[in-house]
Amino acid sequence: MERGGPDEVEREVIVPAPPGAVWPAVANPDEMSRWFGADAELDLRPGGPGVFRWPDGTERPVVVEEVDPERRLAFRWLPFQRTAGGGVVPLPSTRVLITLDEVPGGTRVRVVEAPASRAAMPRLRSSGRALAAVAP
Amino acid sequence: MKRDRTDAIFAALADATRRQVMRALSAQGPSTATGLAAGLPVTRQAVAKHLTALADAGLVTATRRGRERLYQISPRPLTDAVSWMADLGARWDERLAALQDHVAAHRRHR
Repeated sequence: MERGGPDEVEREVIVPAPPGAVWPAVANPDEMSRWFGADAELDLRPGGPGVFRWPDGTERPVVVEEVDPERRLAFRWLPFQRTAGGGVVPLPSTRVLITLDEVPGGTRVRVVEAPASRAAMPRLRSSGRALAAVAP
Repeated sequence: MKRDRTDAIFAALADATRRQVMRALSAQGPSTATGLAAGLPVTRQAVAKHLTALADAGLVTATRRGRERLYQISPRPLTDAVSWMADLGARWDERLAALQDHVAAHRRHR
């Protein structure tokens, strides 16, 4: 029953609200900050830079890749793991794709997080320093 | 991380079926041995045995649910590829649950 490839994380939930009501919660940085676990600052356009800030001061750069209101949001970022001692271990750059689909009972929110492919990188590299940080 | 701990993790993940159990748990989120066995080509008893081995290595944690145990990937930091992807999955379990709560609260207050 494995979904996605072995290097891919896929999760989905049904949110009991139409996509029009779920989209702002997913994509508006202020609302995203309420559930993501970090304060989100995102420039919501393809190539738009951003940052996630955790309460302990940890910051990770983000680059928006796709914005299709009420349907798709994709971004690339540098996730990390915390060590038992509270340190931060950086992980390879990943791409997160969040899709919304209207289903009976509300909206299916599906997340796929996978290691960022090099194929998409040249397009992103042209946008400067914040992007360089997210490149592998 | 201590050397013996790392050895225990790699020993636990050396078994192909155990890695399959780990990936299924990562894909499905918190599950019981019965729930995992439904999607794997092994018996519930075999899955339960592998889960115990994974728990001994600290790769999964168990909580009691009725007569069964509910297993989930342990978010402990590891550098192994299987485990760091599993860790990302555990973060999304938390985030999506928070998103559901956030939307529900938002709609109640409108």
